[in-house]
Amino acid sequence: MPELRKDPIIGRWVIIATERAKRPDQFAGTQDAPSEKACPFCEGHEDQTPPEIYALRPKGSTKNSPGWDLRVVPSIAPFLMIEGEQDRRGKGLYDLMNGIGAHEIIIETDEHVDNISDLSEEQITKVISCYIDRINDLEKDKRFKYVLVFKNHGWAAGAGRLKHTRSQLIAIPINPKRVKEELVGARNYYDYHERCIFCDMIKQELDTKSRVILDIDGFVAVAPFASRFPFETWILPKKHSSDFTKMDPNSRAMLAKILKMTLAKLKKGLNDPPYNFVIHTTPFKRQKLGYWKSIDNDYHWHIEIMPRLTRVAGFEWGTGFYICPLPPENAAEFLRGVQV
Amino acid sequence: MSELRRDPIGGRWVIVDTDHPNKPEDYEYEPQAYKGGNCPFCYGNETQTPPEIEAIREPGTAPNTPGWQVRVVPNKFPALQIEGDLDRHGVGMYDMTNGVGAHEVCVETPYHEKDICDLTQGEIENFIGMYCRRINDLIKDKRFKYVMLFKNFGASAGASMEHPHTQLIALPMVPKNVAEEIKGAHEYFEYRERCIFCDIIRQETQEKERIVVENKYFLAFCPFVSRFPFELWIMPKKHNGKFCHMSPEEVPALASILKEIILRLKSIFPHLPYNFILHSAPINGDASGDGYHWHIEFMPKLTRVAGFEWGSGFYVVATPPELAAKYLREVPQDALK
Repeated sequence: MPELRKDPIIGRWVIIATERAKRPDQFAGTQDAPSEKACPFCEGHEDQTPPEIYALRPKGSTKNSPGWDLRVVPSIAPFLMIEGEQDRRGKGLYDLMNGIGAHEIIIETDEHVDNISDLSEEQITKVISCYIDRINDLEKDKRFKYVLVFKNHGWAAGAGRLKHTRSQLIAIPINPKRVKEELVGARNYYDYHERCIFCDMIKQELDTKSRVILDIDGFVAVAPFASRFPFETWILPKKHSSDFTKMDPNSRAMLAKILKMTLAKLKKGLNDPPYNFVIHTTPFKRQKLGYWKSIDNDYHWHIEIMPRLTRVAGFEWGTGFYICPLPPENAAEFLRGVQV
Repeated sequence: MSELRRDPIGGRWVIVDTDHPNKPEDYEYEPQAYKGGNCPFCYGNETQTPPEIEAIREPGTAPNTPGWQVRVVPNKFPALQIEGDLDRHGVGMYDMTNGVGAHEVCVETPYHEKDICDLTQGEIENFIGMYCRRINDLIKDKRFKYVMLFKNFGASAGASMEHPHTQLIALPMVPKNVAEEIKGAHEYFEYRERCIFCDIIRQETQEKERIVVENKYFLAFCPFVSRFPFELWIMPKKHNGKFCHMSPEEVPALASILKEIILRLKSIFPHLPYNFILHSAPINGDASGDGYHWHIEFMPKLTRVAGFEWGSGFYVVATPPELAAKYLREVPQDALK
């Protein structure tokens, strides 16, 4: 019997299609990417990107020259503009505002490496610290409410032609809908239980074990109970924290380790599938926007990793209704067994 | 400067690139293709599907034999099962139920290689009539709260069968996006005592720039807050919450507008993969359908940008709907034959 499972945070129902379940190895890779172009993200091609915003480079080396470790540049094709006013306005019954925001590319290494899981833990730690530095910097701009850090890996996951590992961030003047739903769901749970829903979830997952993929050094990687996609994986800090940017250096290194291991398991077990990940953290706490006081207690930052193995796209987008052809318990069991 | 636009119904914000809009030729989509081979939906292969639920067939022909025009069968690999009790229960903090529901396939035509736009007016009216009959039948099962009707056309739009078909899923709950849409419409209705969709039709009719085509009973337009490039909504001009309550005069008008928008889209995007979803009020009284207005959301599958949208609920549209509507209006008449 297939199951309908409800996401406890935002209340979305998902069909776990146990009857038509595929074996983990039945998920073929999707569309091939068109051939690669010359890579502007490689060392020595600094003049092919817009001027850098941030870089890890030895003291004394010039901006936009070789010798760097990690580099952040504005998107070549930004869908938001950093300059200007929001100008919120109405148009009949519609609301709109100017597309103000930042859109940055985090080039995670100077080498032409495709998958972040092939970088060293040390390098991934630098990437995490860079996310934190950029979020903190963008928080100073009072126009922004949220910074969303995400990664598209592979053509089917929306990455471009270039196979050079990078992440993106978008600073926006509004809270994204999915994040807002999570915030509201977590607050409602906290109002009633006076406990963090994510902490409760972690506790139950660690007790049940069937959906746990990795449990190391203060972080846990789980296949969520109401997974939308086969092999969907969430990484959460075991210790309660609403804010990704408050991670200490030791936790950053630990996160780098579990992220690398999780993504390496996906790569090895599923033949380098396309995937996306998104970091969900607390919005900027602007006093005047009246954020509720319990947000530090009721929200819990985490990373959602979504492998792109199925092609049921427009339909899910349109309905908010997901059919997951692999129970998360089976996905977790499979990934636990992949040695990395 | 690009724009952030807010969906007045669900409250979702969308980024619309009005500065450097994509032209149709900028989209690299995976064309829909017929590879052929054995097809259980084809004429003569009736025994390869589970026994038919209903069909439009020539008088005197037996079920599960040739002689049909439209045929509805259970999905061979159903996401939900028709037998059993819901058995709502908790597992620790989690809630779940058994996957009770119906999952049917409506084969719209015996021809393997005919998209909707290749069918005659009468053939389209036939399968629209069949949609109504199936929904009316499923409503009788009081376990179900919603019937979702949708079409995936082309592999990249999620179709696992090439042969043109539509799917129906009857669910024991109202899906999230639908519930949000209903809630938004209901709140608007409570406050203004008007239907938000009727107001949208009024505003679109005045502004004209997003309208693609209209006839006596229907309006097809690119919504102000499109989530996907060249997204189109087909909306009945007459206020009506439920698809199945359509009047007999409206059916031919819907058939002709559906055919025309697919012809227009395909004239710009050959072999276009697409999805469409029927949005209609819930059944069996779970949620208030006051101020709801049925419509079809038609989504060409031109982009691959997915995970970001999934993770954030934030959409980026590279062709503003005003421009998309203009391209679609300007399709030459002889492409519509």
